Amino acid sequence: MKTNLEFGPICRALLRNKVGAVLIALQIALTMTIVVNAIFIIVERQGLMQRESGIDEANSFYLTSTGFGKDFEPKRIIDQDLDVIRNTPGVVDAIQINAIPISGGGWSMSLTTEPGDDQDDVSTAVYFVDTHGIDALDLEVVAGDNFASTDIRWRERNQPDWPDKAMITKALAEKLFPDIPWQSVVGKTVYIGEDEPVIVTGIVDKLQAPWIGWSELENAMLSPEKMVTESTRYFIRTEPGQRDRLMAELENTLANAYGNRLIRNVTTVTQTREQSYRQHSAMIKILSTVMVLLTLITAMGIVGLTSFNVNRRRKQIGTRRALGASKQAIVRYFMLENVIISTTGILLGVAMTIGLNMLLIEWFAMTALDWYYIPAGMAVLFVVGQLAVLGPALKAAATPPAIATRTV
Amino acid sequence: MLSMNNINKVFRTDLVETTALRDFNLTIDEGDFVSVTGPSGSGKTTFLNIAGLLETYTSGQYLLDGTDVSNLSDRQRSQLRNEKIGFIFQSFNLIPDLNLYDNVDVPLRYRGFSKQERHKRITQSLERVGLANRMKHLPAQLSGGQQQRVAIARALAGEPRFLLADEPTGNLDSQMAKSVMALLQEINQQGTTIVMVTHDPELAMQTGKNVFVRDGQISKHETLVPMALASNQ
Ligand SMILES: Nc1ncnc2c1ncn2[C@@H]1O[C@H](COP(=O)(O)OP(=O)(O)OP(=O)(O)O)[C@@H](O)[C@H]1O
Ligand SMILES: [Mg+2]
Repeated sequence: MKTNLEFGPICRALLRNKVGAVLIALQIALTMTIVVNAIFIIVERQGLMQRESGIDEANSFYLTSTGFGKDFEPKRIIDQDLDVIRNTPGVVDAIQINAIPISGGGWSMSLTTEPGDDQDDVSTAVYFVDTHGIDALDLEVVAGDNFASTDIRWRERNQPDWPDKAMITKALAEKLFPDIPWQSVVGKTVYIGEDEPVIVTGIVDKLQAPWIGWSELENAMLSPEKMVTESTRYFIRTEPGQRDRLMAELENTLANAYGNRLIRNVTTVTQTREQSYRQHSAMIKILSTVMVLLTLITAMGIVGLTSFNVNRRRKQIGTRRALGASKQAIVRYFMLENVIISTTGILLGVAMTIGLNMLLIEWFAMTALDWYYIPAGMAVLFVVGQLAVLGPALKAAATPPAIATRTV
Repeated sequence: MLSMNNINKVFRTDLVETTALRDFNLTIDEGDFVSVTGPSGSGKTTFLNIAGLLETYTSGQYLLDGTDVSNLSDRQRSQLRNEKIGFIFQSFNLIPDLNLYDNVDVPLRYRGFSKQERHKRITQSLERVGLANRMKHLPAQLSGGQQQRVAIARALAGEPRFLLADEPTGNLDSQMAKSVMALLQEINQQGTTIVMVTHDPELAMQTGKNVFVRDGQISKHETLVPMALASNQ
């Protein structure tokens, strides 16, 4: 027995009873608009959060040490500190550094490939490291060589000039010299601060700048220097599992090595990442909550409207059963009715989704939605609608056919 | 056509047990026009619902067209209702959101007829009840008598062998009741078996047989001379 779908009659009946259906369709459209754009933003933010800094985040921490007193000689104490730290069991390596990747604060400079102030420049973060920078930061020299110990100089306070050697990230090499293979950038001269030449002696695989929102996040340069300063930052990489123990231990070790100092901001890179990406993770949480709530509310709206209609149409349902509708035909009726309402809402939702995305692009410089979010959103809302309607539809199917003769 | 042997129907609610039919026995032959009368609460509607497969019975045997219906699935019962039985209700039970055409279409869609077949049957049956020119109207735009005619058209469109009517004229004034009754008689003459519950003794007199139900049992069974026939034509 072939069954006739009741598209035509359902549509005509809906047109005579528009209000509820239209409101639900609008709610579906709105939900789709917000859910799809929210998921897109979430995925985008998650993508940002998953970017790697290049350093051994799980096993690294840093601290600030400020020395006092007449007999505080920065160069001697810093070298002595580094010696002590590097010889502590469990420490992989340690350096003095001017800034911490992805921490939010640091130095940047402009590089050009020709001298002069009218050249196109490329901005980069600058990290001051000695020969231990590679191991402490967990970098790999993929072309050229690490600094030699003779390359390392002391940078005095307010010293304006630069060492004549530097290592740069592969990403920065490609930005500076887009026309040649990055390996060939070794040996090239770049100009820092318009006209001071620096030779690129090595390329490292990956190291991010301190600013996660910066478009040139992958641009970083290592300068072979140690800083003469009372307030110095040490970056320490430990063996797996040793970090937390060493954070406490090294604080004492340093205090014992030179007592007249203040140790502050003992911080893991994990904490730093959390801090830096806090806005992103908060945004993800808020949007996820909004999304789930909206979808639930819409599903509940559909359940409510359908239940209301089932109760209102009990006699009609009983009559249909008396006239030969099987239970399945009654379920199908309400599912089909939902298909019609949902499809209207979803189609409107597609237009509104694209509209909102265009506004977001204009207002917040967001990127355009990938096309497949649209069919995915359509499918999700369609399934939500059908699932929501299932309960009331089954209840409708349970209406006894005798209702037809028993009610007036 | 229809045969009930010792049918019992007990309604159980939390506290009360109501026996609506008690050892109910009735045979209806093909082509009969049977009226069912009796006091309120005697079990007329219950009988009709069981006959029309709208309700199940507690015990006994019911043969519809020689088939025992007690073990049929819901789907089979629905299909039998759809194919063999036409219903006419006291309050018409038209679907208010559908026009006359779509209303008559309802059982035909469950039957799975093609669009052309449905169209043919809808127009024919609406013509038969004299409302073909109002197809696009909604039930609310018709008088009670006209609505009942549409309901009759809906019941007839599937060409059932068996028409069940529960007080079809109960909501109509006497003029409209007469015309509905005339229509039923015409339908019966063309071969459809009709069982009609009514409170109106005058209408009952116009059917071929009358059964009087009291306390869930048939207390009187009489064959009548259908006298209204002549006056009708
Ligand atoms: N769903 C039900 N639950 C409980 N009792 C019921 C139910 N339906 C009917 N009854 C009872 O069964 C008995 C027969 O009812 P039925 O509707 O068949 O009477 P009726 O002869 O059609 O009466 P009326 O002329 O008022 O329509 C009544 O006592 C009624 O209260
Ligand atoms: Mg009754």
